[in-house]
Amino acid sequence: MSLENKPVGRDAPPAHPPPTHLRVEGIQKRFGGVHALRSVDFEVARGEVMALVGDNGAGKSTLMKVLAGAYTADEGQFFLDGQPVTIGSPNDATDLGIQIVYQDLALCENLDVAANLSLGAELVKPGWGFLPHILQPLDELQMELKARKAIDRLEVRTLQSVRNKVGGLSGGQRQAIAIARAVGAESTVVMLDEPTAALGVAQTKQVLEVVKRLRETGHAVVYISHNMRDIFEVSDRICVLRHGGNVATYTTSETDPDKIVAAMTRGLDDGASRDDGANNAA
Amino acid sequence: MMGQVVMTGQTMQPEAQLSFLDRFRAMRETRFGAFVPVLLALAAIWAYFGLALPFYDLLSGEAESFRSIFLSPRNIYNLFMQSAVIATLAVGITIVLLLGDIDLSAAATAGVCAALLGVLVLAGVPGWLACVMVMAAGIVMGAAQGLLVAYVGIPSFVVTLAGLLGYQGLMQKILPTGNLNVGDEFVRGIARVLIPDLWGLAIGLICVAAFATLNLRKQAQRKARGLELDAPLALWGQVIVFSGLVITIILTLNAYRSLPLLLVLLVGITALLGWITTSTPFGRSLFAVGGNPESARRVGMKVKRIRVAAFGIVGLMAAIGGIFGASRFGSVSYTAFAGGSLLLEAIGAAVIGGTSLFGGRGSVWNAILGALVIGSLGNGLDLTGASAADKLMVSGAILLLAVAIDAVSRSGSNGGR
Ligand SMILES: Nc1ncnc2c1ncn2[C@@H]1O[C@H](COP(=O)(O)OP(=O)(O)O)[C@@H](O)[C@H]1O
Ligand SMILES: [Mg+2]
Repeated sequence: MSLENKPVGRDAPPAHPPPTHLRVEGIQKRFGGVHALRSVDFEVARGEVMALVGDNGAGKSTLMKVLAGAYTADEGQFFLDGQPVTIGSPNDATDLGIQIVYQDLALCENLDVAANLSLGAELVKPGWGFLPHILQPLDELQMELKARKAIDRLEVRTLQSVRNKVGGLSGGQRQAIAIARAVGAESTVVMLDEPTAALGVAQTKQVLEVVKRLRETGHAVVYISHNMRDIFEVSDRICVLRHGGNVATYTTSETDPDKIVAAMTRGLDDGASRDDGANNAA
Repeated sequence: MMGQVVMTGQTMQPEAQLSFLDRFRAMRETRFGAFVPVLLALAAIWAYFGLALPFYDLLSGEAESFRSIFLSPRNIYNLFMQSAVIATLAVGITIVLLLGDIDLSAAATAGVCAALLGVLVLAGVPGWLACVMVMAAGIVMGAAQGLLVAYVGIPSFVVTLAGLLGYQGLMQKILPTGNLNVGDEFVRGIARVLIPDLWGLAIGLICVAAFATLNLRKQAQRKARGLELDAPLALWGQVIVFSGLVITIILTLNAYRSLPLLLVLLVGITALLGWITTSTPFGRSLFAVGGNPESARRVGMKVKRIRVAAFGIVGLMAAIGGIFGASRFGSVSYTAFAGGSLLLEAIGAAVIGGTSLFGGRGSVWNAILGALVIGSLGNGLDLTGASAADKLMVSGAILLLAVAIDAVSRSGSNGGR
């Protein structure tokens, strides 16, 4: 698993590689004694779904949180459209258009869909500028319209009304709302952490449709999952992490689940084939 | 408004199969449905003391004719005035309950503020200035506890328990004799001034007109923007129920004396806080923090400052409660505030009103209704000559019932996960 054993895979790029949107190099992250990320490289392009896979504790969530500014990397460089940027806080990431949908969704169940979609960025009515912003009247109707649009854009058909409390929604609907919130914020990069882990078949399908919609709308999508079926249905490339380091990045159409599982569990050095679709990780 | 909470989607059941509990939960989730349980409780209590007991007396021959002392204008007037201090504190406590916190020190804060008020006016400070100073003191006392909760991370239960003890002691320091008469014209005036009958009616009609206009205008705006509409039945039902209640209350109060200024102030302050909690980004953040603090933090809400502000508001409401109490009794006593049952009655009122102890759900208007429930129980039991022991036990049972309803409604929203 150590970095000296970096595989030298095929360097053949896809026929028309989409331009990389977000790219990071040499990300290091330690939690006390735990070396969670060991010089990880990662990239994602617009209009692409990049799956991020690895065993439990491989560092997927940590990498995602570093990209979202929730954790600060100990070392590493960030590039957006080739320009170096710094991501030191969630606000930095938001300003750069990077949004994360957390594993636990972080929705307020006691508020309705429209309120959740505008949470933290509530619209206020014009003409009350003499009051401090937090005491200006909310423009609820405008927020409802905005929510309606966001939901329609993702084609979440089962949701009847944006005035329903989130507490009464199904898991798939909640996931869709969490995604809609991330997308609504002028984002270009949307990262999803195990969005289907707790869902049944039909709801998983619903979420995968939403992810595909994100690709169609030109977002750069990072998708963490354990489910090979989902990954092969939705992703364009697959980045495998193991023990906090890169294994390789595969083009989905040129590999198969067995190879990915082998790379996840054993790495490349002991047995996994490296001749197929795997690109050099570093 | 009451009908459209049923969801489509994977977890949906056909409407016909919705159990009573599901319907109940769904109703509680709507904006006005949350009032239904407490209004029913109030109606039941009033029917019992106002109709059932007098009727029983008539049948058993104890009374010669049907006379409802409980529902007489005079008693209703007293009931409202008795409940006003509880309501003021309950409205404040509701704000921290929304966050999922609690304030055990509200009554003690009210006591300190009332004592301070008494001492200040005795020393010759003009009444209005003393009131302003006392309100500032209340804000500081509340916000100080908020700082400890938000920035030091001590649970609010512990901080305000310490506050309760400390402020009780402080009140005793300010009032070594435990009692002080307040004769200041301005202060006494708050509870004594009555709005002339016609003016009272005019105020009521203006409220009704404003309520109706706002509701209808909102509906028109929804239509104009192509948003889903509220059911006309629910819309007009609200307007009619609201108008009926307001006009009946004012006519009843006019039949005894008149609309007291104290109640106008209480309703006005509650309306302001109600507006802030439901219709501003600050209010939204109260609900968000109460519902999911982590979520609020991640979307960039200043959770710590919000906590401090909320505790500041409880402090302010406690101070106002202290002023109201001093004004109504014409005196400040240790037992009327810090040392008595005021705290538990105020928290009970907020919870009976339907505000969740778990945070994220409730309304200041419900606190007023809850205070009326507590006040009506006390008043009704007093009229029947029940002992203090009976009163305590009945109040405890009602509170338990309210919390049980809260817990049942809550497990409903978790079941969807
Ligand atoms: N906040 C944290 N504090 C300490 N250790 C952490 C923290 N977050 C993650 N880790 C550790 O970092 C490693 C990677 O975790 P994570 O990124 O959650 O893995 P994955 O999402 O791939 O399952 C694990 O060993 C985990 O225990
Ligand atoms: Mg994880």
